[in-house]
Amino acid sequence: MSRKSERLINLTIALLATKRFITKSELFETVEGYEGSPESKERMFERDKDDLRSLGIEIEVGSFDPLFNDEAGYRIKQEKYQLDLGEVTALEISLLSLAATAWQGASLDDAAQRALVKLHSLGIAVDDANLLDSVPAFSDAGLDLPMITRAIAEHQILEFTYRNFDLSEDERRIVPIGLSTRSGLWYFTGVDQSIEEIRTFRFDRVIGNFVIKRGPKDFETPENFDSKRIFETLSNTSAVIDVRRGKGASLRALASSTQPLGEWDQIQVPILDMKSLAALVLWHGDDVYVQSPPELREIIIKSLKDLARAHG
Amino acid sequence: MVKKDARKATNPLEHTARLLDLVPYINTHQGISLVDLAEVFEVSPDQMASDLTTLWMCGLPGYTPLELMDLDFESGYVTIRNAPTLARPRSITHEEGVALVLGLDVLRSTIATDRADLIEAISSLSHRIADLINLPLALSATSNFNPQIQTLIADAIAQRGGLKVSYHSLYKDEISSRVILPLEMIESQGYLYLHAYCYAVLDFRHFRVDRIQSAESADVERPSSAPAQTPEKIDFELKVVRPTRDVAERFEQDDLATGDIFQGSSFSQHWIVRSVLAAGGAVELLSPAEIRSELANRAQSILNRYQG
Repeated sequence: MSRKSERLINLTIALLATKRFITKSELFETVEGYEGSPESKERMFERDKDDLRSLGIEIEVGSFDPLFNDEAGYRIKQEKYQLDLGEVTALEISLLSLAATAWQGASLDDAAQRALVKLHSLGIAVDDANLLDSVPAFSDAGLDLPMITRAIAEHQILEFTYRNFDLSEDERRIVPIGLSTRSGLWYFTGVDQSIEEIRTFRFDRVIGNFVIKRGPKDFETPENFDSKRIFETLSNTSAVIDVRRGKGASLRALASSTQPLGEWDQIQVPILDMKSLAALVLWHGDDVYVQSPPELREIIIKSLKDLARAHG
Repeated sequence: MVKKDARKATNPLEHTARLLDLVPYINTHQGISLVDLAEVFEVSPDQMASDLTTLWMCGLPGYTPLELMDLDFESGYVTIRNAPTLARPRSITHEEGVALVLGLDVLRSTIATDRADLIEAISSLSHRIADLINLPLALSATSNFNPQIQTLIADAIAQRGGLKVSYHSLYKDEISSRVILPLEMIESQGYLYLHAYCYAVLDFRHFRVDRIQSAESADVERPSSAPAQTPEKIDFELKVVRPTRDVAERFEQDDLATGDIFQGSSFSQHWIVRSVLAAGGAVELLSPAEIRSELANRAQSILNRYQG
């Protein structure tokens, strides 16, 4: 095990230290650890290249002499190998350390810690002043977040089965463009390929696994998309709702405007989803009253009739 | 921990990554003790000694003492010389970048708006890291926690002091002011709860921290009596009229079909009434009978207003 690691380290050093491309035969002659028949050396080298690439180390392939381009050469560019975040300040290192602690106990904890070790290797003195009193913690129940972010970076297509409002199941095909978390729940946003519109999905409503497919070549992220605003409505219709004074805090939190009317306040709530707004209105019982739109009133009235009939 | 260590030691790729990352770390932490170094890389001191021995054999082709790294760790303290090719840290991977960008974003959501310096630093870092991993700024994380309130709670727990809080109770839909003695923080399903003694009800209660709307310190006497009895749970029974996702999630039922009957229980009558109302007729409450008739009356009186 350590022989293999040793060979990989020596290969990395050799490829980093060279300015020109080195050929395979040169590597076999000089780098320690390549033994056996030519075929087995060859196989070893192919595997080593793949291994280094899977560690994120980019190996450049090129011709080592333009006059004799019959043999390929290899090298690793220092600029690509090294961490380059530009000028990094002590304050920035402290912020990144705090950012990493948010993952404690969650799925990217190891990755965050590895990143931190690299950042600390820059040798920047960190001032330990208490920047923040508390750091929030992620909780993600082991979701494969990098699978989604890779699909975002490479415009891949995600196929999955989704549970709808009425518990029916739909097959969805989307190109993901955003990943978000709020109040402990995780969401992803994408362009639905069958309706060409932006939709947001909750991870815990996905049934089974994701299938990843190659995405459309000419995909471009819609210009009006802002990952910070996926919970704000893109709709242009609002509901006008009367809310008893001091009540309906969770409805008020959605309001775009509030107008006092004595014992009641009249609020405007942007409509993102008519059914879930209706459920929220019903939850508040006689402390809220919908003035408009008529469609929302109809849902409420029908629900109340059903409720009264069923329990009467 | 032991298991993790064994995996780290035996996977050759993780091993290689660790060896590559050790060099720049030692380079900027010359003289670090082997034990501390093992802790930073989350392996045992024995594994670290073995890692260093492996590294010691590595270097430039030729592999004479001139080309090998000059590692010294016999004294228990680690120094490195002659390792220029690996001296700078490796770039971050996709996963590592995602962890940092999301971590920074959740930090941003907790920082008070008057710290423009921190918000600016976070935004600059996010852009640089997203660039490194070729990811458009597509990630967002928010925390509903109010940092001032968190600090007050942490201080109150540490100093065994009381707090006067205004709390939004979701079930009663009221904002109430009460004096509490915070005891500990509990995390469950992504929410932080505060376990505290509440002087309004003379009993221990859980408060969801993101529903505490304001807090100030208050003088309290330590509760001397044993806690009062916990309130009784109300058992209820529901029939599915129309299976909906909302009902499945609200009542935590995996499979729903029309006509199914299932049971549940809650400490709060408010919660039961509101949940059935919100389901809008998708479920029918079969029992308890008094809540059932209350539901009928409530629905009818609200309906009268809409039809009046």
